[in-house]
Amino acid sequence: MDDIIASSTGGHGQPGDGTADQLRWFDITDTDRRRAEALAETAGDVADEIIEAFYAHLLSFEDARRHFRTDAQIERVKRAQQTYFRELLSAPLDAGYVENRRRIGRIHERAGVTPTLYVGAYAYYLHSLGHLVMDRRGQDPQAVPLLLSLIKIAHFDMAQALETYVEAREATIEQREREMSELPTPVLQLRDGLLLIPVVGTLDSYRARSLTVKLLEGIRDHRAKAVVLDITGVAAVDSAVANHLIQTMTAARLMGATSVLTGLSADVAQALVKIGVTGETLRTAGDLQHGIEIAERLLDG
Amino acid sequence: MAVRVPILRQGRTLIASFQDDLSDSDILSLQGRVLEDVIRHRATGVIFDVSALDVLDSFGTRTLSDIAAAVQLRGARMAIVGIQPEVAFSMVLLGLTLSDVPTALDLETGLALLARAVP
Repeated sequence: MDDIIASSTGGHGQPGDGTADQLRWFDITDTDRRRAEALAETAGDVADEIIEAFYAHLLSFEDARRHFRTDAQIERVKRAQQTYFRELLSAPLDAGYVENRRRIGRIHERAGVTPTLYVGAYAYYLHSLGHLVMDRRGQDPQAVPLLLSLIKIAHFDMAQALETYVEAREATIEQREREMSELPTPVLQLRDGLLLIPVVGTLDSYRARSLTVKLLEGIRDHRAKAVVLDITGVAAVDSAVANHLIQTMTAARLMGATSVLTGLSADVAQALVKIGVTGETLRTAGDLQHGIEIAERLLDG
Repeated sequence: MAVRVPILRQGRTLIASFQDDLSDSDILSLQGRVLEDVIRHRATGVIFDVSALDVLDSFGTRTLSDIAAAVQLRGARMAIVGIQPEVAFSMVLLGLTLSDVPTALDLETGLALLARAVP
């Protein structure tokens, strides 16, 4: 039955976000990569120093400190951070690198590391490294271009992590919406031949389809002659779903059952008018009580 | 040609029970026989039971509509019973709403429907 009423709600595609395109967008070239690699040795020498200073800085903040429970954990994170910065300077910027950065971003997101903490940590690292490089190679005319290249790569890196933050939030919102639309729709028998279907939550096209199946099969299984469909708990419907509701009620009539739609909000009423539905073609009632009275009169009449 | 749809008689009601999916010519032959039988048996009601059908196309639906109108002109009332959920929804998607023909869930409720309509 589902395939009969499956509508054409296709998935949404995402424009190509290949790593090469992103590198072009950030204007990162092989020259930048080579310059960053030239920094690798210096950075490796001072990595411990920077990270120790960074954690001293980090742990002076209450918000940041509550992410760490034991010294062992701090040691582990420090080691991970060393690897992270080493890769930033020397790992090839390819799809594998991006995937790895996104994985780390997801871990941070789950652990509750905010974008502010994340970007702040980056700023601290770049700042410290910049100072150390200028101290050691201040006379070298290549020092500034080296740092500028590093900053480009670091921004590319931050973008990967921030993308995962956004993706994770979006996934959470989508999941909540799905849960709302997957709330069960009970089919209740009020008395012989009279069904009540209360709909609460979001009525999207997915849920409207399952509602159709429930309603029509409910009519057959309970041998119902009247169905009260109560949508008091639905704030708004789009015109496609409104149309679907009308089709469902028409199909119910073909099966010999009369349906009464109750609890239309102002928005829903307007959506129905927009697709050309009037009170004459549709049996409606202002509230559930009135709707049930109408249905009972139909049964007794 | 073998008769695909037998027409049964229950009191003054005729019952045509569809057994499997029908060709267009089956439906047309049924149309003629039903209209004959309404007068011959002085029937007051006609019931078409379609509960065994998996599909009801636009031709079938329109012909049923026509038969209902003609039956009414011959002095009886017609009802269609047993449209299955899947069939009902595909009919609506095709825009076939049978708005001028009474419908009922099954044979029993259909008989009650026609009994109420006859004074």
